[in-house]
Amino acid sequence: MMNVSAPGPLQQLQTSARRRWKRWINRRIPPARSLTLDQKRIFIFPSRVGIFFLLTLLVMLVAAINYQNNMTFALTFLLANLFVIAVLHTFANLSGLTIKAVRANPVFAGQKAEFEIQLSRGAKRRHRALTLKWSDSDTVTVSLDEAQELSVKLYLRTSERGWHTPGRLLIETRYPLGILRAWTWIDLDIRALVYPRPVASGPLPGIASDRPEGTSVPVPGQDDFYGLRDYQTRDSLRQVYWRSLAKGQPLQTKQFTAYADTSVWLDWNMFEGLPAEQRLSHLCYWALEYDQSKDEYGLRLPGVSVSPALSEAHRQRVLRELALFGVDDEA
Amino acid sequence: MKLEQQIPRNALIWIVLAQFSLLLPHLGRVPMWLVLVYVAAAGTRVLVYQGRWSFPSRGVKVVCAATCLGGIWLSYDSLIGLEPTVALLLVAFSLKLLELAQKKDAYLLLFLAYFVCVTEFLFSQELQVTLYLLAVVTVITAALVALQQPEKLEFSLLPLRRAGVMLLQAFPLMLILFLVFPRIDPLWSVPLQRQAAKSGVSNFMSPGDISNLSLSGDVAFRVQFDDFVPARSQLYWRGLVFSKLEDSTWRALTWSEVPANERRPLVVQNLVGQRFDYSVLLEATQQNWLYSLRYARPSDLGVMSTNDFRLQSPIELEDQKEYRVSSWTDIPIELELSDWRREVETQLPLSGNSRTRELAQQMYSEAGEDSRSFVRATMAMFTEQDFHYTLRPPRLGGNSMDEFLFESRRGFCEHYAAVFVYMMRAAGVPARVVAGYQGGELSPINGTLIVHQFDAHAWAEVWLPGEGWVRADPTAAIAPERIERGLQYSMGDDEGFLSGSPLSPLRYRNVAWVNLLRLRLDAMNYSWQRLVMEFDSAKQYNLLSGLIGEISPARIATLVGVIWMLVLGPVLYTLLRRPARAKLDPATLSYLDFCDRMAAQGCVREPRETPADYARRAIEQRPEWGEQVMAITGAYETLSYLPPLQDQEAQLQKLRNLVRGFRPRKQ
Repeated sequence: MMNVSAPGPLQQLQTSARRRWKRWINRRIPPARSLTLDQKRIFIFPSRVGIFFLLTLLVMLVAAINYQNNMTFALTFLLANLFVIAVLHTFANLSGLTIKAVRANPVFAGQKAEFEIQLSRGAKRRHRALTLKWSDSDTVTVSLDEAQELSVKLYLRTSERGWHTPGRLLIETRYPLGILRAWTWIDLDIRALVYPRPVASGPLPGIASDRPEGTSVPVPGQDDFYGLRDYQTRDSLRQVYWRSLAKGQPLQTKQFTAYADTSVWLDWNMFEGLPAEQRLSHLCYWALEYDQSKDEYGLRLPGVSVSPALSEAHRQRVLRELALFGVDDEA
Repeated sequence: MKLEQQIPRNALIWIVLAQFSLLLPHLGRVPMWLVLVYVAAAGTRVLVYQGRWSFPSRGVKVVCAATCLGGIWLSYDSLIGLEPTVALLLVAFSLKLLELAQKKDAYLLLFLAYFVCVTEFLFSQELQVTLYLLAVVTVITAALVALQQPEKLEFSLLPLRRAGVMLLQAFPLMLILFLVFPRIDPLWSVPLQRQAAKSGVSNFMSPGDISNLSLSGDVAFRVQFDDFVPARSQLYWRGLVFSKLEDSTWRALTWSEVPANERRPLVVQNLVGQRFDYSVLLEATQQNWLYSLRYARPSDLGVMSTNDFRLQSPIELEDQKEYRVSSWTDIPIELELSDWRREVETQLPLSGNSRTRELAQQMYSEAGEDSRSFVRATMAMFTEQDFHYTLRPPRLGGNSMDEFLFESRRGFCEHYAAVFVYMMRAAGVPARVVAGYQGGELSPINGTLIVHQFDAHAWAEVWLPGEGWVRADPTAAIAPERIERGLQYSMGDDEGFLSGSPLSPLRYRNVAWVNLLRLRLDAMNYSWQRLVMEFDSAKQYNLLSGLIGEISPARIATLVGVIWMLVLGPVLYTLLRRPARAKLDPATLSYLDFCDRMAAQGCVREPRETPADYARRAIEQRPEWGEQVMAITGAYETLSYLPPLQDQEAQLQKLRNLVRGFRPRKQ
């Protein structure tokens, strides 16, 4: 008997075919922020309705031959050539369309990311009944009739933090007769930033939950020096106490303190023992909380440090660091 | 239901329109209740659309379908044959409206609509019908286009335009395919089983049959003579020979009544005298006899001669038929009469019409028992005595000959022909009734002779020793203008002439322009029938060899290829011509120049970034540009977003100078 767990030859063939297909389409339609569709990028084939249409024509042809009816011949040939003409019209309905990736708004994991795409046409061209779809997005049908350009928003569900790349966008049309389907798969080189899903946690360690006015709680920070401790690999090099090295002592790190009266450091180490993703989710939650209550907050992740501040740009910076922590940015 | 599967409102209107225009030409053929079914179905569908009703349940639909099926069975007594099949198609077509919910239903319906066009062509391929169906095909195609435009809510003509353009582009390609597609024999034989009424002269004649035909202005056949057209009084189109009188009905001999040795066609060997060559295009008659001048010899293989000098087709004519004939009008036929023939052509019922018999025998003996003088005397009797030629003769009883000859004395051609032959036979002279058409209208447009149904005629033939069968037309004696000029001139308008065709343009033949128009249309129809409807492999061969010389697959492929290039090239060009670059106003051009300069420094404007956003980002990156960037952006925004200023030109110049002066250097 065959070993079930090992990939069967069929599966292997499938994977290899998929890989080959990917390589081929990448060569044929390379990723781009903006592109105009031309014959190299458009595929066309009869739709299911079109095949049914051709079957109807076949029946009509048989009727024409059997009844020796010249007008039935003429009608059959007229419709057959209508099919040929429809190939050109359907193709032209897609060709010349310019698609530009505009932006993808950042979202929290689990939400739907909004991708904005701009379609534009040449001065004398019209594009009707275009259907846009990513493999896991909703379908949007638009026409570029009167307007010169049109912005289309597509929503994609996200699951993991980091960069969300939607894959190839399918643009298809069956206009004008529905008997042919012209389509293209384009890689718009667009990606959405996905923040960690905010997850509430118990009160932050070392910070009073009610945060009474004027209470000064030392939390690790950068404001005032208050002592030295042994160097840890993740510590910032700026805070290394180099003199101890000169004295032949083990490397030490300067410890500063920040006061939590108005600003807070959200620290990776606050959630000792929890898995990385959960830590990020908690940090994300607290960042949003502090932002909401208009308190300054900073972020400290291994290798990352954002000093406390309070602004929209700051919020975005913090969330971005959380989203991309440990993610290869260029991937 | 998914949104993209719904049928747009615009498409629904087009579908109903397409269906209705398809139903229209079938109106005369289908029972009236079928139209009601359609109207009810369409009404229901509209109410469903308006949300006032919901789609009928499965049970209701099944009941509807079963009722209609039963209705067709009752109306036609059969479900097989062309008419019931068309009725079935139309019923399916109408009832499909009741479950027209999704796009795929609509596609099914519209493809079915294309097929219903084919059924219409099986009934008629005339020019008018073809043009009408071309319009219908455009509407069906428009409905297909409308299905693809989900956002169009109101009724719009746009789909019709698109459909028209596409069909127009497909048309020349259709023509070339029509020309070169091999006309192969039927794959299997399919009798049409049309229930259409047989038209024209029928194979028996009782009093009143021919006069009924005179009510119709339809074309019976058209004749194109090669060079000479015989005189009108010579145009006797023989179709049938009636040799048997039974129950006051004249009829042709059946096949079994003719002994085997008499069945072979009679042929005249020595062909002399005036010869006419012509081709006849006969409309579908559902009969198998053909019309010709005597003595006729066909040049087509599919046309047979008979033992009474007629022409016949081996099959009933379900479609129009064109055949070529040569006729020698002066040649004597059947100089020697066989005993059997003599017996048959002098036979009369054993009793009845005694006064007529008496009169005939008396006149025969008065003529010295000479057939020739007897014929002359009989003709003279019709002219000299008080006989009337009328389309509305009184009804005759059992001894119809006696009543006609001695009492009413009013009759149409069939009465005179019948009584003439009766008298001949009563005296022992071989004679028979011939039915067909007489005369025709010579079209000044294309020189064809148009023979209408009202030209139907009956006359007699007598056999004279030494002369063979001689034509004797009592109508010519009583109403010579009927023969010389045609029925329309011999009848007053009150006589019921053409009363079966109230709309026939023939009624207005006295109005010159109507008449000219009618003849022009007829000439077009004739050309259409000969060139297009009758296009067959022989005509195809002639045409193609005229076009490309030797016929080989390679040459045909080249021909098709060249035509396709000639058509598809321009179509593709108009569809894909490079878009002209959108015209930009000078302010924007200047601003884009500025953007390019910034981009060269690594500060690229994002798509859809507003100028203000772009400026803010740029200053954040390169604070030292601040002043210039602000000035340029401000000037551009003033120019493009505010209403035009008085010093528009100066402002524009200012923007240009600013941009020109903006020369950032790399950090």
